[in-house]
Amino acid sequence: MLIEGSERGSRRDFFRSMSGGMMGGALLSLLEGEVGAKPGKAPHYRPRAKSVIQLFMNGGPSQMDLFDPKPELDRMHGKSHFEKIAGEVESPQAAGALMRSPYRFSRHGQCGMSVSEVMPHLAECVDDIAFIRSMYTTNITHEPALFIAHSGRMQPGLPSIGSWVSYGLGSENRNLPAYVVLDDPGKLPVNGTQNWQAGFLPPEHQGTRFRATGAPVLNLKPAFPQPGAIGQLEREFIAKLNSGHHQQRPRQPRLSARMASYELAARMQLEASDALDLDQEKQETLELYGINREKSESYGRRCLIARRLVERGVRFVQIFIDFQIWDNHSNLKKGLRSCCEKTDQPVAGLLKDLKRRGLLEDTLVVWGGEFGRLPIAQLGDSKKVDHAGRDHNKNAMTTWMAGGGVKGGVVHGATDEIGLAAVKDRVSIPDWHATILHLLGLDHEHLVFNRNGLDERLTSVFHARVVDEILA
Amino acid sequence: MMRRTILITAVMFPGLHAGAAEPGFAVDVRPILSDACYNCHGPDAAARKAKLRLDDRVSAMRSGILADGQLLERLTSDDPEVRMPPPDSNRVLKPGDRAKLVAWVKGGAQWPEDDRHWAFVPPAAPDHPPVRKGKWPVNGIDRFVLAKLEQEGLQPSVHADKATLLRRVTLDLTGLAPTTGELDAFLGDDSPGAYERAVDRLLASPRYGEHMALDWMEASRYADTDGYQNDRLRYMWVWRDWLVRALNDNMPFDRFVTEQMAGDLLPDRNFFTQVATGFNRNHRINSEGGSIPDEWIVEYVADRVETMGTMFLGLTLGCARCHDHKYDPVGQKDFYRMFAFFNNVDEAGLGPNNGNSPPFIKVPKSWPELSEEESKYVVPEPMKIRTVQTSVPRPQAGSPDTVMVMHEKERPRDTYLLVRGQYDQPDKSEKLKPAIPPVLGQWQQKWPRNRLGLAKWLMHPRHPLTSRVTINRIWQHYFGTGLVKTSENFGLQGQMPSHPGLLDWLALEFIRTGWDVKKMHRLIVTSATYRQASNGSAALQRRDPENRLLARGPRKRLSPYAIRDTALFTSGLLVEKIGGPSVKPYMPPGIWSSISNARYKQDKGEKLYRRSMYTYWRRTLPPPTMMTFNAAAREICIVRNDKTITPLQALTMMNNITFVEAARFLAERVLKVDGLSKAERIERAFRMVISRRPDRVEMKQLLEDLEFYRQDFSKRPGQAAQLLAVGEKKADANLLPVELASFTMVANTILNLDEAMTQD
Repeated sequence: MLIEGSERGSRRDFFRSMSGGMMGGALLSLLEGEVGAKPGKAPHYRPRAKSVIQLFMNGGPSQMDLFDPKPELDRMHGKSHFEKIAGEVESPQAAGALMRSPYRFSRHGQCGMSVSEVMPHLAECVDDIAFIRSMYTTNITHEPALFIAHSGRMQPGLPSIGSWVSYGLGSENRNLPAYVVLDDPGKLPVNGTQNWQAGFLPPEHQGTRFRATGAPVLNLKPAFPQPGAIGQLEREFIAKLNSGHHQQRPRQPRLSARMASYELAARMQLEASDALDLDQEKQETLELYGINREKSESYGRRCLIARRLVERGVRFVQIFIDFQIWDNHSNLKKGLRSCCEKTDQPVAGLLKDLKRRGLLEDTLVVWGGEFGRLPIAQLGDSKKVDHAGRDHNKNAMTTWMAGGGVKGGVVHGATDEIGLAAVKDRVSIPDWHATILHLLGLDHEHLVFNRNGLDERLTSVFHARVVDEILA
Repeated sequence: MMRRTILITAVMFPGLHAGAAEPGFAVDVRPILSDACYNCHGPDAAARKAKLRLDDRVSAMRSGILADGQLLERLTSDDPEVRMPPPDSNRVLKPGDRAKLVAWVKGGAQWPEDDRHWAFVPPAAPDHPPVRKGKWPVNGIDRFVLAKLEQEGLQPSVHADKATLLRRVTLDLTGLAPTTGELDAFLGDDSPGAYERAVDRLLASPRYGEHMALDWMEASRYADTDGYQNDRLRYMWVWRDWLVRALNDNMPFDRFVTEQMAGDLLPDRNFFTQVATGFNRNHRINSEGGSIPDEWIVEYVADRVETMGTMFLGLTLGCARCHDHKYDPVGQKDFYRMFAFFNNVDEAGLGPNNGNSPPFIKVPKSWPELSEEESKYVVPEPMKIRTVQTSVPRPQAGSPDTVMVMHEKERPRDTYLLVRGQYDQPDKSEKLKPAIPPVLGQWQQKWPRNRLGLAKWLMHPRHPLTSRVTINRIWQHYFGTGLVKTSENFGLQGQMPSHPGLLDWLALEFIRTGWDVKKMHRLIVTSATYRQASNGSAALQRRDPENRLLARGPRKRLSPYAIRDTALFTSGLLVEKIGGPSVKPYMPPGIWSSISNARYKQDKGEKLYRRSMYTYWRRTLPPPTMMTFNAAAREICIVRNDKTITPLQALTMMNNITFVEAARFLAERVLKVDGLSKAERIERAFRMVISRRPDRVEMKQLLEDLEFYRQDFSKRPGQAAQLLAVGEKKADANLLPVELASFTMVANTILNLDEAMTQD
């Protein structure tokens, strides 16, 4: 009996016929109901975007050094301002005077949006972007602010926006999870894996971590190098034995679901590996994302994988950055530039690549962190302004959206003259969440999950408003 | 006319309330009112519309709308301006529910004077309902279950076969599968009481305490780190040791709760009762430099209130933290009065840099076998807040030989209602004293107004909730679903019990036996209800997919802990040692890379093979295998877990180092026995994992599988060697690599079968 012989063939046939059966009729619905990513569910109204790529900038990027230039701050540079904002400073003992941006701004695109010199690549894309300069949040500490940014409230244990979207819309590709997280191979963000938890939603809506190098999913490959045949054989054997058992218990949905899960695992092995195989990309594309350069290689890789995932129907892709590099408490001038060197070209590359492939129309790209930063300096032990950074600021931050139903070349809202607080057309986190859901065709008031008898929603009990002004 | 309405409604809504002749207000009507109306017409004064209350009998009657036809109009009108609930609200009234309300109003809107929600009325001894099939019941449980089945026109299922039953009860009581020796002994014992003796053996096994501890650990949010940004290390395993021992010693449940709630305040307090209070210190602690200490103390205290609410009261007290509860009669002030019980701890808002946060006590080296002197109560060293260089004030840190406990401040902190739950917005117009919500019974004057009094109230025999909520969780342990499905919510928005009489009878039995936990476990597993076969007919599966009627036995997937433990146990790898510090088994590489101050240093040797309850639990990065199989994340109190089936589970079972190594040792185990045929070896492995012998077809296939693997590995011996190198423990050099590798693959196949992960 040779492995390649007829006996083997009959096994294959058996497997194929069985999997054919599994994918048909009753078991198909079972698979949809019980296992892995659910197929597309109907949105509440016509969606403008099919998927979201969220570029989460952990740490709190400094708005007045990137997107929100403040000439008045230049003039007031060096003046004390601490007394007026004492209650809003996380580290009062290190508070210095007002500090102008160390960078120059210039206008770009047809819209003439001002962008800082440290984001030269993004500056080329401003006509596709809607900037929100008037975002604010309600907590100045990373963990609660992150919980607010991801799940709407400062308490842990609540579903993140990606989980809500997975719950509301399911996936377009049953072989891949609806909600994929590309975390940094360097370090996880603050709050670790809680950033993409499903909370009280069914656990399949939790974000699935894909690693950018090596096997993308834990245990995707066996703990030992094995030829495809062995793994394939084992799956066949398991399927056959389970199926025999199943015949004795005809209506045992969880057993059928278990069988389907092995089938799905096999397909995920292929499809996830394929999505992460950047060798299939042209050199020019790799360069567009800055993958050929050391500083931007890691982030560029993840941006490109994000594109490959939304191409395959993944609904919500979240990219996290190494720990919280945007938390520039000191050495802002150097530190913030370094953050941009890592991310600017990859982010711009992603926008350009999505656009030329016609994917930007129905892919919403969202950029932002958990809060903004203060206009005053935060001084280190040396007290030198040259080495100063900026402390957390919950009252003002800039975020942006592009693609999927968003107007390009728009600036929404404004901060006060020194960038301390959002004052015009303020946008809260719940507003921002409601807007993202809206673009996906989901009404934030109707995307509810009954938990303990209570109708929970991402925007909770807060009054939230879709930011109509940035919709195309 | 009236009479006719009652008849019709009785026909329309049968079965909700055993023996009910008409829709009971509390059972049939109020749940609908609560669901559809209380958001705007309920207890929360701030959210109330049109000054109308439908949760309060007197207000509702006084409004007149029940009698004057207005409510009827609101329910039946097609005019969106009139119809309730408003079409643009999120409240949806199911057509059947609307009909129920209409019938109720037309029937005169009967609203009894004592309209307390069922769960707020102490259980009263229910009569055992009459049954026809009088021989089937083994104990009191079965009478209630059978009565309901007969009412529904159903029959109980036959008894599960002996092997299945022993596997079920062994997994349920110890978290491990029975050995083949235990199976043989049980199958060979036809004398009366054989099953009961097996149950007693299992209840006496120290594995019982380890297994039962897990539900409590998850609910108590036990972990080895603080959570939050830095997720600093803490040392609480001594509390876990206390827990396992208390369960194995069958400590009466009232004492068990009292020691955890107030072991530092008991007249006979000692070192052990003090350790028990770690229960209220298992919450997360923040240590980020910029945090505001006062804000976080409020978080810790609120966590204690919410945990107590979920675990003992089955109430969502957290809802009342920012506003009056929208559904249950618990006001925001009630929340902060409960808060006041826990607000006197001499604790810091900001945790130390690694180590226990005060108050903590030093654990003698001889733990857990303490001398008389060492067993005495210890006063924790007072908290010292120091500011070092970085100018962040932190308390002193407890070293690895300490454990966190509760300890009262000399002068309690003042408690005020916090407006919208904000720590910095106390309503200073009224200082709040510790008190319980009036709806939950009376406070006795002789009880001290502290956590000890609180424990006495919780464990009072007339308490309406503690016993019901606890027995319901125990029931859930066995049947996968509680008699009240929403085991965390017995309030107005929780589900009605499937068997109200049974729930109350069990709750009272629990109290009557002196809160004897093992007795209650024994009562359930020796019932005829539990012993039924789980494989109901297709018609029954269709009729009652969730098995709420209990016409068949429970079938459920093993817990994440039991899946790993059973694989280690059947392969002979499991190292059974009770207690001690947490261990660090295999994890994916770089698992802790997010944390700067600690690397995951994987253990070697026997610590790789301890039971999963001892696996180091880092809150921000819980063990991935456990999470893949839906363990609770240990952030907050969780008493009910989903059990999903995902492809990640399949990948874990097939490829994860733990399971591949276990398969290899399972293979070795059966290969090392002399003089067996291939079939006999396979049969042994199969039976160790699945507790039954493979049938003819299965055996034929497994033998073929073995042959295929053997041929494959013969051609590529290098791959056999690579497979055998997985895991720290070396393969037996006396076994032929190709032989061992092929048997390993067969063993892995067996471990991956649905039956291996299931108790039938």
